[in-house]
Amino acid sequence: MLKKIRLKDAVGTALAHDITEIRPGEFKGPAFHKGHTVCNEDLCHLQKLGKNNLYLIDLEEDEIHENQAAAILANALAGEGIAWKDEPHEGKINLLAATDGLFKVDTTALAAFNMVDEVMCATLHNHTLVKKGEKVAATRAIPLVMKRVAIERAAAIARQNGAVLAVKTLRQAKVGLVITGNEVFHGLIEDRFAPVLSEKVTTLGSKVDGIVFAPDDEELISQAIANHLDRGCDLIMLSGGMSVDPDDVTRKGIRMAGATEMNYGSAVLPGAMFLAAYIGEIPLLGIPACGLYHRITVLDLILPRILAGEHIGKADLAFLGHGGLCKDCPECTYPHCPFGKTA
Amino acid sequence: MQDFETLLRGSSETHGHLCPGQAVGVRMAMLGCRLIGLDEPASRDQIKKLLVYVEMDRCTSDAVAYTTGVKLGRRSLKFMDYGIMAASFVNLETGKAFRVISTEESRDLAQSYAPEIADKSARQLEAYKRMPDSVLFRVQQVEITVPEEDLPGPTRFKASCSRCGQVVRDRREVIKDGRLFCKACADDVYYYDAREVTWPDMNWAPKETHHAEENQIKGCRGHRTGP
Repeated sequence: MLKKIRLKDAVGTALAHDITEIRPGEFKGPAFHKGHTVCNEDLCHLQKLGKNNLYLIDLEEDEIHENQAAAILANALAGEGIAWKDEPHEGKINLLAATDGLFKVDTTALAAFNMVDEVMCATLHNHTLVKKGEKVAATRAIPLVMKRVAIERAAAIARQNGAVLAVKTLRQAKVGLVITGNEVFHGLIEDRFAPVLSEKVTTLGSKVDGIVFAPDDEELISQAIANHLDRGCDLIMLSGGMSVDPDDVTRKGIRMAGATEMNYGSAVLPGAMFLAAYIGEIPLLGIPACGLYHRITVLDLILPRILAGEHIGKADLAFLGHGGLCKDCPECTYPHCPFGKTA
Repeated sequence: MQDFETLLRGSSETHGHLCPGQAVGVRMAMLGCRLIGLDEPASRDQIKKLLVYVEMDRCTSDAVAYTTGVKLGRRSLKFMDYGIMAASFVNLETGKAFRVISTEESRDLAQSYAPEIADKSARQLEAYKRMPDSVLFRVQQVEITVPEEDLPGPTRFKASCSRCGQVVRDRREVIKDGRLFCKACADDVYYYDAREVTWPDMNWAPKETHHAEENQIKGCRGHRTGP
């Protein structure tokens, strides 16, 4: 229960919550901390902050203070790879990446959590690459005092699939590249795909274990895949031959190699003719020619997720449609742009 | 208790169609029964321990009634006309009662739980299967005093209207100025301007009796079909 008292009567009482001071462009933070005993010298400062009354807290048995609530919420939201400290700041707790990796949000559980009255959690976008220590989310209870049961229900909702937030470390894949195309195989033009793909792979901490060039021949493409698998590659990336031309047979080669699952076509531009296939548990990514021209394509959205252990299916490629259109800006600022931010 | 899908199938057949309200109702009843500790509410030894108060006359109510086995005519189903998507489940043996409320936010969240389904009703139906109880419902533990005249079992109370003579059961009579009336005579009814009429085929009965022929000759019938 909250009891309002006039400022002049508050001398000697303890503050029920942090009192925030904002000096535009200069400072935002607590001018006074929760628990501070109000003294005569504080009155003028508090009045300048617009405080003519203060709250005294007398918690009922079924009530909870915002700081306790924030800790319960943070604990329920935080999953694998998320760190937080029980040190609420103005009633709010920040959740941080405990490791480098891919930040993942159960957006459905987050929506359900935020539909509970009196609690909130704001996060970075799902599937953002983050560094250890980076702030990925923050949560708080909105009122100063609330019913404990509402907080416990919100916490249960946050835990419906384990936790709402996680940072998954990227595995170090042993990548086999297959560069397809008669024009490259026969030396008519110089390949530029291998360096582009190699850089994307190494930037994410994996390594290219071998590069095989293959002509537009499904059997030879299939053999190239088999060679990589025999050498122990656990991720195969194939470039070219992904469109609808009669010479484009990369998909046939992947199927011939024994693909158990083929998801062709993504709702992303650039990258509509992207393919995510599997031979057993090993992913094969077919990258269309757009990967040569555009700095950022569907591959940049999918590769980190593959390395974070996600299985990419038809729905994953389809759900990228909302936000999947690159604006082709003269100066690319990805990831600081809407591309790939689906929700 | 049968599994959710079996209950949903049976409930929708009984109700007449499969709709999102059926999924909510079956789950509401499953949760309510679990909370009051009845795992087979429709079984012979548990059905008499259960009372359910439904607070709306919508699809969900039929699903609650089907899943629990409670019935209006057995007095185990009570209709409280509140227009609220909620039902309370009472264990008459232990006295424990829980009110399960369908959350409004679950409707808004259907899009998140079943985004691949474009049709609104189909999306809600699927989403209400996927949502955890914590999202679909709020629960209150409540105290319910069930008056003696509301309990299942034989009629304990009867009175006669001082104006029309109608027998009134279960203390539904009205006392006005020290006199006892049925609700009709106390002007507390849903209809008005009541005039007694005759109707075609007045002497129909589902079963002929030996007396029927004699009575037809005499131009009247002697049996009654109701209590």
